Amino acid sequence: MSPAETRQHATFTALLWALSYPGRPQRLPAGGRAAFAAIAEALLDLETGAFSPDAEFAALIARSGARLLPPQRAPYHFYPAPEADSLESIAAAPVGSYTEPELGATLVLSCHLGGPATLTLRGPGIAGSVRLRVGGLPEDLWLLRAERTRFPLGWDLLLIDGAEVVGLPRSTAVEVG
Amino acid sequence: MKLAQLAHPRQDYSYGFLDEFGKRELRRRMLKAVAIPGHQVPYASRELPIARGWGTGGLQVTLSLVGPGDTVKVIDQGADDSVNAANLRRFIARMTGVSTTADTLAATVIQSRHRVPEERLREGQALVLQVPDPEPLRRVQPDSSKALEMHADADYAQMWLSLYEQLVRFGRFVQGASYPVLVHGRYLMSPSPIPRWDTPDLHQAAHLTLLSAGREKRLYAVPPYTDVRPIEFEDVFFQVEQMVGRVCAVTGARNKFMDALPLAGGGSIFRISDTGYVAKLLDAARGKPATIGPTYYDDEGRFFQPGVLRDEGQARNGR
Repeated sequence: MSPAETRQHATFTALLWALSYPGRPQRLPAGGRAAFAAIAEALLDLETGAFSPDAEFAALIARSGARLLPPQRAPYHFYPAPEADSLESIAAAPVGSYTEPELGATLVLSCHLGGPATLTLRGPGIAGSVRLRVGGLPEDLWLLRAERTRFPLGWDLLLIDGAEVVGLPRSTAVEVG
Repeated sequence: MKLAQLAHPRQDYSYGFLDEFGKRELRRRMLKAVAIPGHQVPYASRELPIARGWGTGGLQVTLSLVGPGDTVKVIDQGADDSVNAANLRRFIARMTGVSTTADTLAATVIQSRHRVPEERLREGQALVLQVPDPEPLRRVQPDSSKALEMHADADYAQMWLSLYEQLVRFGRFVQGASYPVLVHGRYLMSPSPIPRWDTPDLHQAAHLTLLSAGREKRLYAVPPYTDVRPIEFEDVFFQVEQMVGRVCAVTGARNKFMDALPLAGGGSIFRISDTGYVAKLLDAARGKPATIGPTYYDDEGRFFQPGVLRDEGQARNGR
């Protein structure tokens, strides 16, 4: 296994288990902005496209061969430093269609795990319910998610804090508080 | 600057045989499949050195899932030693350097054709099922684009009708293997041709199940702790295969899924289908150390999660 293959495999398995057990942090092979780069490396190539409001990160996406697309057409969104106006492009992210729900976007956002807001999660991958403390996300993200997610439509969230990733697939019911 | 410095070191094949684009595509699809339990996600299905229909779907998922630290078990109809299982296992081990095992408890990834092991899978284990036909609606709707619309609308009325017709004609549900299930209350799913005996194992399971059809180019998943309900009526329940009165000729065990071995003079003897489990029972009987995990069905044939098999009482009384 080459170092690149090792990195991509470790990233993929972290994401797979993060989405399989929503709310449980998994470890990525790199932290911070490098974690975003690792996810882009593991998932993006010239067969897909992505969006990032961060110019530096967009350049990195372009190097992977993936097309840079406007937010309403991009299957992958990366927000290494989400700000208040990120919510506009997040709201535009595709949610898929009833015949092709898999076209719903994957959103990768940085956050602070253990932050102020407490979420109660229920759904596939969770035995009963689990609580998640998370902050550093755009305000009203959860309101917007509740609006846009109508299973099987919706986006799948990957929340990054350092080298830790928490998955929130569209199948997870999120209750704030 | 030399060419050797710019190029990768020479490799005869990529890690896991599939090229980087193939693996990335499969990985993107697998993540979407987990996020939408029971929904069939299309994928490209690359060429492999085995023919389509021989487990290429499961093989592609396994090859893009495992790393050198994994331990892989491959079974075919419960057997670790059948030709198909042995060849797939050897191929996976040669292409990825994983260790292999016949022990369900020691495996991190279990690729299977037509069975779920008898011992309960735990958190962090992945079960990869090879699927010949991913479309549960095929019998009632041969046009796959119409079937896709039926899934989109969650319109499964024709399936319920066919279930009712089976009852009227035969007095019971006649579907043997790949009994259709409703996943997370939304998608009708074929659990691959596992016997009805194994169907409840997927309900609120601790492990992740990935199902992949190489010839049909679709993959889907059942995440852990997800509702998987076989379709049944409120007054006529889903039943698992009748194992009452069958005794394993090798181990003497009862109430596990048995293969019937026909005898020359007519009649048959029975043997537990899960060979890895049989090997451990034999080791334990001979006084060798063997760690036998808890099983889905106990020795009285009771399923470990109460209330999942609503017909359990009637089935044991041999209705």
